[in-house]
Amino acid sequence: MTTSEALTKPKITIDGQVVEFEPGDTIMRAAERARVDQKIPRFCYHPGLPVAGTCRMCTVEVEKAPKLTTACSTPAADGMVILTQSDRVRKSRSGVMEMLLANHPLDCPVCDQAGECSLQDYNYEYGPSKSEFKEDKRVWKEATTKALSERLTLNMNRCIHCERCVRFTEDVTKTNELLMDNRGWHKELTTALDEGMFNEYQGNVADICPVGAITFNDFRFQKRVWFLKEKEGICDGCAKGCSIYADEEKGTVHRYRARFNAEVNKHWICDEGRVSFHRYQNAERVIHPLLSASGSLNATTWETVVPWLLSEMKKARRILLLIGTDASSEEAATIAQMLPSFSSADLVVRSWNGTNGVQSSADDAAVDHLLRRRDHTSNTRGIESLGIKPWNSVTEQNFDLAIYFRCGRATLPPVMAQKEIAWGVFDLPEIQRFAAVLPGLSTLEKFGTYTNCDQVTQSFEIVVKGPGGTASVRKVLDGMKLKSSTPVREVVRDTI
Amino acid sequence: MVQVEKLLTQHNDVEGSHTMDVYRSLGGYKALEKALAMTPESIVDEVKKSNLRGRGGAGFPTGMKWSFMPKAPTFPDGRPKPKYLVCNADEGEPGTFKDRLLMTKHPHMLIEGMIVAGHAIGASRGFIYIRGEFVFEVKRVEDAIVEARKMGLLGKKVSGTDWSFDLVVYRGAGAYICGEETALLNSLEGKRGEPRLKPPFPAMVGAFGMPTCVNNVETFCAIPTIINDGAAKYASVGTERSGGTRLFCVSGEIEKPGVYELPINVNLNDLIAHCGGVLGGKKLKAVIPGGASAPMLSAAETDVAMDFDSLAKAGTMAGSGGVIVISEDTCIVEVAARLLKFYEHESCGQCSQCREGSHWLARMFHRIEIGQGTEADLNAIAGICSNMAGQTICAFSDAVTGPALSSVRKFRHEFEEHVRLKRCPCKPEGHVPKHENHASAML
Repeated sequence: MTTSEALTKPKITIDGQVVEFEPGDTIMRAAERARVDQKIPRFCYHPGLPVAGTCRMCTVEVEKAPKLTTACSTPAADGMVILTQSDRVRKSRSGVMEMLLANHPLDCPVCDQAGECSLQDYNYEYGPSKSEFKEDKRVWKEATTKALSERLTLNMNRCIHCERCVRFTEDVTKTNELLMDNRGWHKELTTALDEGMFNEYQGNVADICPVGAITFNDFRFQKRVWFLKEKEGICDGCAKGCSIYADEEKGTVHRYRARFNAEVNKHWICDEGRVSFHRYQNAERVIHPLLSASGSLNATTWETVVPWLLSEMKKARRILLLIGTDASSEEAATIAQMLPSFSSADLVVRSWNGTNGVQSSADDAAVDHLLRRRDHTSNTRGIESLGIKPWNSVTEQNFDLAIYFRCGRATLPPVMAQKEIAWGVFDLPEIQRFAAVLPGLSTLEKFGTYTNCDQVTQSFEIVVKGPGGTASVRKVLDGMKLKSSTPVREVVRDTI
Repeated sequence: MVQVEKLLTQHNDVEGSHTMDVYRSLGGYKALEKALAMTPESIVDEVKKSNLRGRGGAGFPTGMKWSFMPKAPTFPDGRPKPKYLVCNADEGEPGTFKDRLLMTKHPHMLIEGMIVAGHAIGASRGFIYIRGEFVFEVKRVEDAIVEARKMGLLGKKVSGTDWSFDLVVYRGAGAYICGEETALLNSLEGKRGEPRLKPPFPAMVGAFGMPTCVNNVETFCAIPTIINDGAAKYASVGTERSGGTRLFCVSGEIEKPGVYELPINVNLNDLIAHCGGVLGGKKLKAVIPGGASAPMLSAAETDVAMDFDSLAKAGTMAGSGGVIVISEDTCIVEVAARLLKFYEHESCGQCSQCREGSHWLARMFHRIEIGQGTEADLNAIAGICSNMAGQTICAFSDAVTGPALSSVRKFRHEFEEHVRLKRCPCKPEGHVPKHENHASAML
């Protein structure tokens, strides 16, 4: 940007602070750019949805304008002076709160939204302390607990008619499953079909519902939200790598929510990804080292399994190291660099994906117009960028030892060698064919980097501790170094 | 006595006035001929000079509205954008029935006015959005359109010019809110009839996203006389800021209810006298001067001219011209409760304050009417109304507060009596109101 451009950028003043905006911005958008939008409460406005302007909560005072105006719908004009907290504005907002609370059941103690409810928060800030409303409250007997689908539950009594959900199915998923029946004060949210909602992004509706009207069944009644710690993460459910919040309490993840990422997933995540954390809380996940003895796999210790692995690698003449495309770039690079130094055998490094018939990023494609991908592993692009090629199970054969490292997403490959070792995240039903299992960490339990289908590289941090005896790649390799009799080349710490 | 000047309805009693032949024999379609020879700009100027103000309710100067239409709008790729003309014939304001008369008796006057307006703004198509209940009027207008097409006045090459213009009749489905112009446009597009956020205004983004001009039936019907006899003659009737005659729909407790065409600035007292006075010679209690949304005038306030500015000055509005006369025998609480029930039912439910507030007021007024109100309720009404008026997308919530606020302010003693007696003093004890609140029955 040249200096002259910067000088000509239009500006508005929000509560005395001069703020630049782009032509075409609304007042709300300009406030968002300047990160002062928290001063403007909103129910129907959502940055990912078309503007409705109906809740009337975001009204602000524009100097010289006769009426209050909604920040979400009013275009910003150069030189506008905006007051977000004037007496007139606060009175108007208090009026909206009084109207919205008139028929609201105020059942916060039994409402799952309590603690993250816009109605609660704004009422604390703007609401009247008492109400003149003396009529019977509006009650939807049949829609007090009504399934919108297997995934969502509606409590119509709590609804404030912001219609974010309706606009979501209209504009984002384009499935038009939700609509408002009737008119006026008995306007009722309902599904267009008796079968209910069917899109694959329903969880977002619960995310954007500002009140407890729509809740996501997987999380409903599982945890009070004030116990949860919000941690940033990446969903590893497919090659898209959507940004998420993993809400965790005492080492257990209770839900995923979409985290805004303009480059990847905007405001949304799919339902499959939303519940994918359960995969790593699976009771059948192998979380202690296993070693075969007399035909069956038995629990053992890292002290036993590491020397065993070293001796197997020494004995072998031709080894296949197969890395799942769900491994982080750091894990894949470290294993591919360090494992050869523990063996003098001919060691071939290949990648394996196998989800939905995908092997390389060339096989991947979008499943719908939003986020979902065919490739159900998270780092196919990242593994490819390390120069690791997919394994051709037909032409590349005759290995006497194979080590398969994966993080719970890539499928089980066909038989690779007479002796196969599983390393990473595996479930009990999958491991019968392996001579040993070295339990590793899932995405939630480690830090690392994934490169998504659009070549966006994102790093992630540890959300929870790995369960039981699971160990990081670094820890396993350190152990191998200690037990190894031959000197090992040092790996630069940075690559791990 | 009022001066009777008829510009629109002078041929009401002519047999077959709705047919092309009779309409032409009475001088119909002369204005069209004249207008097609004029430039669009000079037509707009003529209408501006006539001081014609929109007869739908808001009273916006018609000529100015037309001049807001972009001259040659284009799509981003340079192709010309079509412009549309819409006639609002969704006459739904309680107490209003003038458009219905015009469409029944003079459909060709509407069509002629619309063709002239279409020429003035350069529209390629006009839509007539008629209230769904007007089955007969729809037929009348549709038949007239067929006649006009046969005469070459509609369709390709209107009257041999290079300009094509046609009319389409669209039937509403019974929602009061669809009389609001942007809700009407949504409904016309097949969407839910909910008012749109403005800006953009219809002149920029209207029907189907194109620049659109929306006018009322009576407004269009005034166009032929303005073109025929000149703006000066039209403007000579009425006031400086509001010209011409107006069709007043007088109903309620009046000797001779009906549609009366009178100068727009007729005095309300004269109007009532002209219609034979209050029914049965009773004393006047109140008048709703401009359809249900207009705040009531008490009997002491009726010495007022009926034009837009004078009524606004008197704290009410000229609205759609529906004059509802209320006599001393009618319970104002009942009137207000009945009106609020209507608004509760018709609020589209988009905006928080209107959706909840119209319901709240309706329930509260009903309670007061049946004697379950309290002094606190009466004091709360002003607060509820101040949270509603002027706070929403359209003027509906202002309309709700019209009858609510004016009735309590001007007839508070009647409300207090209901509270004190715990029943309606105008009704025998034990009386159950006819319009029992349906609130709980609906769910």
